[in-house]
Amino acid sequence: MNLIPGIKRKSAWILLILFPFLMSCHKDTEVTPAFKPTLYTIQIPKFFPTKLNIPDDNPMTVEGIRLGRYLFYDGRLSGRTHPDSLMSCSSCHTQSSAFEPGINNTRFPGGKTFGLTGIATPHYALPLMNLVFNSNGYLWNGMIHSSNTKLGNTAYGIPALPQYNYKNLESLVWMAIAAPHEINGSIEKTVQLIGSDPMYPPMFKAAFGTSEINIDRISKAIAQFVRTLISSNSKFDKYLRGESSLTPEELMGYNLFTTEEGADCFHCHGGGGNPLFSTYLFYNNGKDTQFNDPRDRFSITQNPVDKGAYKAPSLRNIEFTAPYMHDGRFKNLDEVIDFYSEGVILTQYTSPLMHHAQNQGAQLTPTEKQQLKAFLKTLSDQQFITDTSFSKPSDLNWQK
Amino acid sequence: MKLKSAFSACLFFLIVLALFSCKNDQEESFGKFQLKFAHKVNGNELKCDTLVYTNAAGNQYMVNDIQYFISDIDLINNEGQAYRLKADGFAHYADTDIPSTLIWNVKDQIPSDNYKAIRFVFGFTPEHNISNQYPNQPESDMFWPESLGGGYHYMKLNGKWLKPGETIPTPFNFHLGIGQVYSGTKEAEIAKSSKWPCGSIITKSKNDVLGFVHNQFTVNLPVSFLITKDNTTSLELVMNVESWFETPNIWNHNTIGSSIMQNQQAQIWAKENGQDVFSISAK
Repeated sequence: MNLIPGIKRKSAWILLILFPFLMSCHKDTEVTPAFKPTLYTIQIPKFFPTKLNIPDDNPMTVEGIRLGRYLFYDGRLSGRTHPDSLMSCSSCHTQSSAFEPGINNTRFPGGKTFGLTGIATPHYALPLMNLVFNSNGYLWNGMIHSSNTKLGNTAYGIPALPQYNYKNLESLVWMAIAAPHEINGSIEKTVQLIGSDPMYPPMFKAAFGTSEINIDRISKAIAQFVRTLISSNSKFDKYLRGESSLTPEELMGYNLFTTEEGADCFHCHGGGGNPLFSTYLFYNNGKDTQFNDPRDRFSITQNPVDKGAYKAPSLRNIEFTAPYMHDGRFKNLDEVIDFYSEGVILTQYTSPLMHHAQNQGAQLTPTEKQQLKAFLKTLSDQQFITDTSFSKPSDLNWQK
Repeated sequence: MKLKSAFSACLFFLIVLALFSCKNDQEESFGKFQLKFAHKVNGNELKCDTLVYTNAAGNQYMVNDIQYFISDIDLINNEGQAYRLKADGFAHYADTDIPSTLIWNVKDQIPSDNYKAIRFVFGFTPEHNISNQYPNQPESDMFWPESLGGGYHYMKLNGKWLKPGETIPTPFNFHLGIGQVYSGTKEAEIAKSSKWPCGSIITKSKNDVLGFVHNQFTVNLPVSFLITKDNTTSLELVMNVESWFETPNIWNHNTIGSSIMQNQQAQIWAKENGQDVFSISAK
């Protein structure tokens, strides 16, 4: 039988044998495109740091950020589908409160968070903003830091594998899924559930080159999104940039904020020269006399001087982030200002920068307190808390 | 004959070239320079966070941390010519909490030579004390508020001392930088009469501040060292911490208090005491 007219039988067999190879070569070289996601460049606001905390193995891409935004808001990160069992990053980190729970949170009254199974979180949540500029550690005690070599968590049943590290924002995703006081879930179930939605594999492929879904990629995508959460358009920012002016009361408040003989807030909380409004360093600010918190800065450094010390949180958007301190003890700004004015306790652990502690605080007059509060409110960034590129994607229905 | 002339010309040319290249080598020889930062009290390595020191006024004190800038750093050769370090910018930041800042591997290629001194400005000159020039931490944490003169702290030395009759040490913030002349003060009278003791520059006025005073000072440290081709010469700059609190001014925390950013008289005392705070040696 002559299969191909005009060609001898032997030649035809050779062609038939070679055909698949020829076609496969053709496919390799021309059909499979190289993976080229769209690189995303952070636009650095005026006066902001130029040094960014972005790990080499997780460059920011438009596709990765888009995926991260969906995952950030997807309640199926809990690995569960019952409406009462949904939990995502956004459950505690709400945009209207600068991505912390906020005192008026309906799910967490008073801003006091607890995990999916009812276990209280040890500390009140910190806001998520300008974290890409922080290289001094995340969480109240700075445990998440590039120098941390720990892997896994036996108490959570997480093995000591490289993807379960404590180095950067990526680490907080697996920790949130596994921690009993947060999602209290199973990483395998989360990965499986996310992968079961046909929406996601193409998004993972766009972000990472293949549609494989694993905890490493989920973490990287969410971290990319969180790094885009930049707040830089408060009234005070505009004042610094010469685009707006402050009222005399606000200026007096800023003067108090940045003078040693005033309230002296700036040494720990920044100001015009450090518009992050935090050093992101750790201080015992004189709230107590006994320090037994197993999660304070001392728990990380084992240096006794760090007992009762916590990160100075950024004061940006402070108007939206009540309650205040790691344990949420102050419900409003007035209580915070009263504390720093006349409630500071001098102990052997009080930070040396708290020099007003010898007088129980800065001893501000009622007028000065109002001025300071007026200034603090100039740090509110309405654009940040309403920016739709940070909001829940409108076609995602799995949030709670 | 022609060939011989051509050969001679070539030979002459090559000899001249060789001579010039030798001279060139000698002139363009460079070495590297490293500056280490050490902090001592009474000759011993500084021990932070422990109440073990007593100053000249008899105050028991501790040091928690020290951060500071030196700028306009010159290496002076035996002929008195200055080589200004500039490849890393005009300043270096040192921080006792950040070990990597305490070994400065200078990027400059330093001309090979015999040197007799190192000279630097403690803090910044007015020309270099520019607000927001350091956007990144930790340097940005050193900013000096605009209402107090702007720019950066020259130094933060944070510690605690024991007040008489007390058992809990009290914080002190020995922070140096631009001073202010406030209206209605003794300093204002001095400023008005142009007899300010430090040759200060009164630049501008704001609120009740009549003007600002730049309190930086120059440190000149004789030290003999050699920079040789392709080698790294290392010196150790020592801050003798106790010297901040003695000679010529005995520093009594009980009378001066915890904070001095808005106390120009204290800034002057610190500046005077700072003249002999540093020493240097080959390491």
